[in-house]
Amino acid sequence: MMQVTLTMKPRIKPFLPIEAEMIVPMNFIGSRDIFLYEGNKKRRLEDLFTIRKDGNVNSPEKILVMMKGDTSRVKRVGEYMSSGTIIIEGDIGMHCGNFMRDGYIEILGNAGGWLGREMRGGSILCNGNAGDYCGSGYRGEKRGMRGGKIEVMQNVGDYCGEYLTGGEIHIHGDAGMFAGAEMRGGTLCIDGDARIPAANMSKGTCIVGGTVHEILPSFEYAGEENGMRVYHGDVANKGKGELKVKKIS
Amino acid sequence: MSDKVRHVVCPYCGCLCDDILVELDEGKITGVENACTLGAHKFLSDSENRLKGPIMRDGSGWKDISYEDAIDYVVDLLSKADRPILYGWSGCATETQAIGAHLAELIGGVIDSTTSVCHGPSILAIQEVGHPGCTLGQVKNRADTIIYWGSNPIEAHPRHLSRYTNYADAYFFHNAFRERQVIVVDTRKTPSTEIATEFVLVKPGGDYHVLSALRAILRGRADVVPDIVAGVAKPQLIRIVEICKKTNFGAMFFGVGITMTGGKYKNIRNAIEFVDELNRYTKWTISPMRGHSNVYGSNEVFTWISGYPYAVDYSRGIAFYNPGETTVVDILARGEADAALIMASDPGAHFPRICSENLAKIPTILFDPYPSVTTHLCTLQIPSAVNGIDAAGTAYRMDGIPIRTHKFLDNTGYPTDTTLLKQIYDRIREAKENA
Amino acid sequence: MHELLIRNAYVIDPINGILGEIMDIPIRDGRVVDKVSEKSDLIDALGYLTLPGGIDSHTHVCGTKVNFGRYMSPEDMRAGRTSRRGVMYPTSGYTVPTTFGNSYRYSRMGYTTLLEGAMAPLEARHTHEEFAATPMQDMLANTLFDGNWSLFEAVGDNDVKQAAAVIGWTLKAVKGFGIKLTNPGGTEAWGFGDDISGLDETVPNWDITPKQIIDTTIRACELLHLPHSVHLHCNNLGMPGNYKTTLDTMEIPSDMNRDRQTLYLTHVQFHSYGGHTWGDIRSEADKIAASVNNKPHIVIDMGQVMFGRTMTMTADGPMEFRLYTLHHNKWSNHDVELETGSGIIPVYYNRQSLVNSVMWAIGLELALMVKNPWQCLLTTDNPNGAPFVKYPEIIGLLMSNRYRNKELESVHRHINKRTILSSLERELSFEDIAIMTRSGQTKALGLINEGKGHLGEDARADIAIFPVKPDDIDPSKQYEEVIGAFQQTLYTIKDGIVVSRNGEVVTGILNRTFWSKPDLPDDMDVMQSSRFIEKFSRFYSVDLENYAVQDEYVERGVAIDSKVV
Repeated sequence: MMQVTLTMKPRIKPFLPIEAEMIVPMNFIGSRDIFLYEGNKKRRLEDLFTIRKDGNVNSPEKILVMMKGDTSRVKRVGEYMSSGTIIIEGDIGMHCGNFMRDGYIEILGNAGGWLGREMRGGSILCNGNAGDYCGSGYRGEKRGMRGGKIEVMQNVGDYCGEYLTGGEIHIHGDAGMFAGAEMRGGTLCIDGDARIPAANMSKGTCIVGGTVHEILPSFEYAGEENGMRVYHGDVANKGKGELKVKKIS
Repeated sequence: MSDKVRHVVCPYCGCLCDDILVELDEGKITGVENACTLGAHKFLSDSENRLKGPIMRDGSGWKDISYEDAIDYVVDLLSKADRPILYGWSGCATETQAIGAHLAELIGGVIDSTTSVCHGPSILAIQEVGHPGCTLGQVKNRADTIIYWGSNPIEAHPRHLSRYTNYADAYFFHNAFRERQVIVVDTRKTPSTEIATEFVLVKPGGDYHVLSALRAILRGRADVVPDIVAGVAKPQLIRIVEICKKTNFGAMFFGVGITMTGGKYKNIRNAIEFVDELNRYTKWTISPMRGHSNVYGSNEVFTWISGYPYAVDYSRGIAFYNPGETTVVDILARGEADAALIMASDPGAHFPRICSENLAKIPTILFDPYPSVTTHLCTLQIPSAVNGIDAAGTAYRMDGIPIRTHKFLDNTGYPTDTTLLKQIYDRIREAKENA
Repeated sequence: MHELLIRNAYVIDPINGILGEIMDIPIRDGRVVDKVSEKSDLIDALGYLTLPGGIDSHTHVCGTKVNFGRYMSPEDMRAGRTSRRGVMYPTSGYTVPTTFGNSYRYSRMGYTTLLEGAMAPLEARHTHEEFAATPMQDMLANTLFDGNWSLFEAVGDNDVKQAAAVIGWTLKAVKGFGIKLTNPGGTEAWGFGDDISGLDETVPNWDITPKQIIDTTIRACELLHLPHSVHLHCNNLGMPGNYKTTLDTMEIPSDMNRDRQTLYLTHVQFHSYGGHTWGDIRSEADKIAASVNNKPHIVIDMGQVMFGRTMTMTADGPMEFRLYTLHHNKWSNHDVELETGSGIIPVYYNRQSLVNSVMWAIGLELALMVKNPWQCLLTTDNPNGAPFVKYPEIIGLLMSNRYRNKELESVHRHINKRTILSSLERELSFEDIAIMTRSGQTKALGLINEGKGHLGEDARADIAIFPVKPDDIDPSKQYEEVIGAFQQTLYTIKDGIVVSRNGEVVTGILNRTFWSKPDLPDDMDVMQSSRFIEKFSRFYSVDLENYAVQDEYVERGVAIDSKVV
């Protein structure tokens, strides 16, 4: 096992966003230079973080990257990650786990927007809240998240799982508006409440354990199953998806 | 000595009316004909309000500053900034907008236009499902059914109906006004709902639901739709679908009533998909009611240069687009920027309060011929010639038709924003090359 | 004064009859001259293949619908991004690059002149603005007339002079170069959601047929003595069985021009389908080629399809809607009042699809069966058939039977039941390729007199030097090297200045716009026609006085004069 501990240093302009797509376990093998961007300025990892390495390994799946300090504006951590573990003690910025293929990311605080965007594999656990577009795709693409698992222990913002194509998203708290919009596969599970979920879905399964506010008029009620109301839709587009809800309001 | 200038292009709104007549007397605008009150006001009050020259903050007041010193300040600020934002652009000519796009790339900043608080969602929807549209002359000559959804043209685009829709002259009709029907969909009564042949009153936030219901009915699944959808009774929904299917040519127009409420771009997407499906039965088009005279121009220019229509982030030396992240309104809400260049727009008046608070904290340069709410938030204001009055350039109408605005006042003494921006660009580029 | 001497160039310049000679090319102030001083700059071409700069006679790179294709496709934009390098701005776009993206990528391939395939007169200003942002190539615009109401009236009156008056005025007003007809009559029918399916069908609301539109327009074009012939996208594009429409279309004109073809048919691959449905679609390229072979007054371009993802965009609105109903991808439409239409939709050409495999084969069949390379030019109708960066692969396929056979093994297994490509052994030569990618274009576009497309005395010094030595290579076997050579020049030279070197654009330049300026006599002045003027006051949505493209948009314009014959 190797543990790399990165602790954010205080910054002169702490409001500037940081892009850190090079922070993936694989990049800590050997003594590779790791660069980040703070606004439009290129920085070295050591300019922004104190770095501590314990242990030494040859393969990335045995690497744990631990991030401490105020990382709420650090974006793109874990992008294209294919092995290893990242644990973030505080909050994390946008696009955490973009395009992830394998490995494990855990966020102890809250996550910014686009958590696990266009994910293909691996798993992400967020103990706090996640922002908008959790597990979504990118503008204009026909497919969003294709595989892997995202679990959020509290609430998510709007458009969670937009264009969901494969894999699994599990929200323990509430979702905002339009969770599962344009879904075409995969499973979206919301334990709490949701507003206008699964809009325009064509396939896949969306389960809401709490109350659905403003369910769409184009979902066809198909009976009860295990205490859940089952709907087929979205009829507006000849969709063959399934929406299961506990209650509607 | 009075002069009449004809076929002037009004630089106010997305209608870009080009039949304006302006009367001049001794280099001052004394009369305007054909324009609506918004356009007339733009021309007639122009000279009263202009700043005489650049002004810079001086303690709690202002001091006059030369154009040279003003440019020096801008060059210095933008060259060093870590996250500069260049916002506005919708009143500028495309020639100016093009320099802006190159400037954003040069300084590694973010360029965005008023699109992001107006019809940005329309573009997001178009990026999902495309845009089945046409030029306004097609509508005027052919449309027998017009739908205004979330739009109040009588107040916001006053000449839209007389130039392009309901009241306009039409090749294929003998008596167009009598042969057309206008459906207006809104959450409240407006002057536009008053002239509609059919008014659909929707509960606020319910537009998406109504559109889903219409699509389901169109697909033959009226059985699934409940009796009332967002306050609209099912019989009315069914009637609307029948009207839409039976028309010869239907044209839908939509405004910020649905781009800026509820699902925003999801509303627009739903409307576009409804129109797509209608095209299997008869001819239908859908188009956004763009607000500013050249906001569409900013989308066109930014696209052919950067690849993206607004919210373009060049901080990584490559164009990156992600509305919600790279839109200036969101960047300001998060307080991320450290310098701002505002071109010909008034975010102080239109952005959420937190954005204005954050704008006031950073060095902000405002290019605007007139004082505005943003003046009170900025560090330096630079007046330039007014596009369409003492500067000419290309503007793109709401339907994409490019028209050249006129310069009918000479010798006002103001440099154009194109000239000023070019100087700024050249100086920053030279400094980078010599570094 | 700037002088450049290129030494040891292996020149193929078919217009001047030079078919593989090592020679020097002296250049002064942007033109090929007889000799230069010893102080001139020097490039040693080391015996590498040297051709006049590439000319694309049909590509969609600038204008309203191209930009639609860009901004509706952020997923395409992000797939093709490059950062700033030297003088090159960042670019974006994979199948529909930004203007600078197009310009740099074409320059890397040695192209110095581009003809934009479609420009609606009402939106010409947009095309010209984008021309200025495509700086490495001189630009020309094919101007759309297929739905033009004033032209329709002249056609209805069988009045060629009036048709010529309308066309002449419009070309001058919008600084257009050539006459483009796209699905003539069909784009107007699409104004109410219909299409036209036959040359003799009446256009709804107008008492004319596509055949009449084509015939009158050709006569008007020849009356105006324009440099380029009518440029036609036939009716029924993409429909199984449409080869008949194409054959019938080719019967319309007689040989009316001494210097060049009378009719140019574009992207003919899309118009060469037999069968009746998608299920039995087959190639009829041999019939099309046979017709072209006995009509020296007709020139076609291929419209080659290559497998993979791309974007379709044409003025043929109804055809694009049909694609939408088939594939259900995101679809955009933009009809232009009193003039024309357009549609845009992304497509994916799949090797495993029999239909797509047939389409791929047909383009190649056309090029191999049309005997005279001057009559079959290389295009993909960029980006409709494929992005232009695939041209080198097409060259590889045309020069190597072995490569074609290899590809045939990986396409749909029934390909040989629907096409005869596997039986065609002809391999095109470097000379054929030179003709199909520049010499043929310049002749077809009437640009020889403008100094384009050749390297004779006083020609414009637009030159491409490729890393291949024709005498030292067997393209039949070494097709990979041929492809590599055409992908990136050693030097691309424009107006005597090295603009691209080993794939990198090295200097910024300003381009020119070539446009047609026919001189019309007083009795052909549409400004005297109240019927013409009334269109603007009543039916257009812009004023006549604001319609014409101002001089500011063609600051470095080259007006090509012509006189009514």
